[in-house]
Amino acid sequence: MNNFWTVVGFTARNKMRTKSFIVTTVIIALIISIGVNLPFIIDRFSGDSTGDGPTVIGYVNGQAPKVTDPLGAYYERLGEDADLKLLGFADEEALRGGIEGGMIRGYLVFEDQGSAFPEVTYKAESLGGNTTSSLMLALQTIRNDIILQESGLTEAQRAALIEPVKLGTAQISTETGAETEGGETKPSGLAMGFVYVTIILLFMGIFITSQLIATEVTAEKSSRVMEILVTSVAPLTQMFGKIFGMFVVGTMQIATFVLVVIVNVSLPHNQEMLSGLDINLSELDPMMYVYAIIFYFGGYFLYATLFAAVGSIVSRTEELAQALTPVTILSMAGFYIGIFGMSAPGSTLIKVASFIPFFTPFAMFLRVGLTEPAAWEIAVGIGILLVSIFAFGWLSAKIYRTGVLMYGKRPSWKEIRKAMKAYKI
Amino acid sequence: MKMNPLIVDNVSKQYGDKTAVNQIHLEVGQGEIYGLLGANGAGKTTTMRMVLGLIFPDEGRILYNGKPYSREQLSMLGYLPEERGMYPKVKINEQITYLAKLRGMSQKDADKNLKEWLERFNITEYYGMKVEELSKGNQQKIQFIAAVIHKPSIVILDEAFSGLDPVNVEQLKETVKELRDSGTTILFSTHRMEHVEELCRNMTILHRSNTVLQGNIKEIKKQFPRERVILGTEGELKGLESLGGVRQVKRMENGYEVLIERPETAQDLLRHAMAQTELTRFELMEPTLNEIFIRSVGGRNE
Repeated sequence: MNNFWTVVGFTARNKMRTKSFIVTTVIIALIISIGVNLPFIIDRFSGDSTGDGPTVIGYVNGQAPKVTDPLGAYYERLGEDADLKLLGFADEEALRGGIEGGMIRGYLVFEDQGSAFPEVTYKAESLGGNTTSSLMLALQTIRNDIILQESGLTEAQRAALIEPVKLGTAQISTETGAETEGGETKPSGLAMGFVYVTIILLFMGIFITSQLIATEVTAEKSSRVMEILVTSVAPLTQMFGKIFGMFVVGTMQIATFVLVVIVNVSLPHNQEMLSGLDINLSELDPMMYVYAIIFYFGGYFLYATLFAAVGSIVSRTEELAQALTPVTILSMAGFYIGIFGMSAPGSTLIKVASFIPFFTPFAMFLRVGLTEPAAWEIAVGIGILLVSIFAFGWLSAKIYRTGVLMYGKRPSWKEIRKAMKAYKI
Repeated sequence: MKMNPLIVDNVSKQYGDKTAVNQIHLEVGQGEIYGLLGANGAGKTTTMRMVLGLIFPDEGRILYNGKPYSREQLSMLGYLPEERGMYPKVKINEQITYLAKLRGMSQKDADKNLKEWLERFNITEYYGMKVEELSKGNQQKIQFIAAVIHKPSIVILDEAFSGLDPVNVEQLKETVKELRDSGTTILFSTHRMEHVEELCRNMTILHRSNTVLQGNIKEIKKQFPRERVILGTEGELKGLESLGGVRQVKRMENGYEVLIERPETAQDLLRHAMAQTELTRFELMEPTLNEIFIRSVGGRNE
């Protein structure tokens, strides 16, 4: 047991000290920070370009007063929130001068087509930003008003027409018979987001860390440190020490990223935006966190033992990627089932996949997060996962024990079996 | 009688249909260096791996201080593998103490021993350096330290001196002798016969999984007839080939080397030579281990 912790400590300490590890962690943390702050940054930049007040837009006085008057009034009504402001000019010549002088950003030209509403053109030196969409919305409202006024509807009828339709929703479960009534449907956007992020984190935690283990094992073999290691410490202790050591490293890395997200999100300027988006993490079922951790543990140890076994067979680092292909495909498949299954979490494919141990961490988590599988289903999924961890752990340990002593070209399954017999493993 | 610390008792090992080691028996005493010789593929590595407990014998048993193999015995074994290997990017003090801790030492003792060893080899400045920054000879010294830092009572040295310059070979050889004199049991495998001749008391020559020659080196040498005469002469000698019992004559820088069939021929040779010129040297040579080895394995070395 002492040796186990020695291996854990050595593995973790060395990994965390490598430049590549530090650089990767910092870069990903930076990307996350930028990602979280991106809406704010964009907001800042676009805010700067328009100045603090509303954008001023010109029009020719008296060209289409039945439109320009209500348009000006529309923006005035918005008061502080108004992003546009109208300003009348004598003619188009004056308007151009206004742009040059910086008084206005662009101007509107109206052409009477003989219909109820004139054709409107917005002219400006740069057409970016939200000006056009804002104008579109405003003009649409004004046109509706004009037409509705002419139609002779009563005030009440007009109000009823404009009022948005109300759609109530309720999620039901045929298994439990429960009915959740509420304004929003489940899976909510929040649950979706949480599942999405967690599946990506699971994949990173499981796949990337496992691959590191395989690389380390092969590196030890190719540098022949293995020869000394296997004579100092039982291969099993060594393998699980390494797996656990990397687990510590991987967990700390993910914890760092989660921390970065939390810190960034809780910055005051982002707080406002979050409340605007109506995201409140405390609304999540706390069991979701528990399941995320369970599936992270399960998935990690299942894949890590497999990767370690493959790593032990290969003698040279160059051959590793090729040897890992089958396991890699397996983990990729699990990841994609998780990601693409988000659109149909109740499908048979996901249900079946959630009981296949290699896919359980992704597929079952998806089901738990977005649908309501029965408790026994979750239990069976986790049970199968645990049993496979022990089965594959045992098999991997055997392969590892044999593999570390075999040098030269990558042995075939037959050769490994033969060697196992010869070594009495 | 006290039991020898390391006994390999009639051990056999098969890989599939192939016999890797066939009925090997050897005993190494305390404070003894035992030579294990053999061409490549003769079964040396398999034998050593069995002694290290990496693979288990099909037949026979291996006893360490009278006890069979168990995990606890690992801490009293020291191993210097043929293929040298350390973590290239880990600092020397860290990896040596790591390996020492795995063999049951405390961090403090390991660090103290490492410093002593570095001082011994006059390489204290390498303490905090990475292995990849060292020359090959110094890497080998570090590897050697890794093998013996935990003061093992049984040490297995596989090609301990390969790839070293003569100065470093001498330095390591002295260290190995000191280990021996302090009572360490050493199993020593090599291709270099002169090292065996200098260091070992007993030896085993393996050939194609079988023991072909075994025993005390001095006695083995006596079993082989003296068949080589060195003649140191100023002038030229004529008619050496025509003497009865002479197999081959080689002209050397300062004389001749003559291979003879029987030791008695040497006396005829001496008389013949003295009649012709002045001799500066005459010696009836013991067979070298090299010759014995080549004879035993039939010229199959490498």
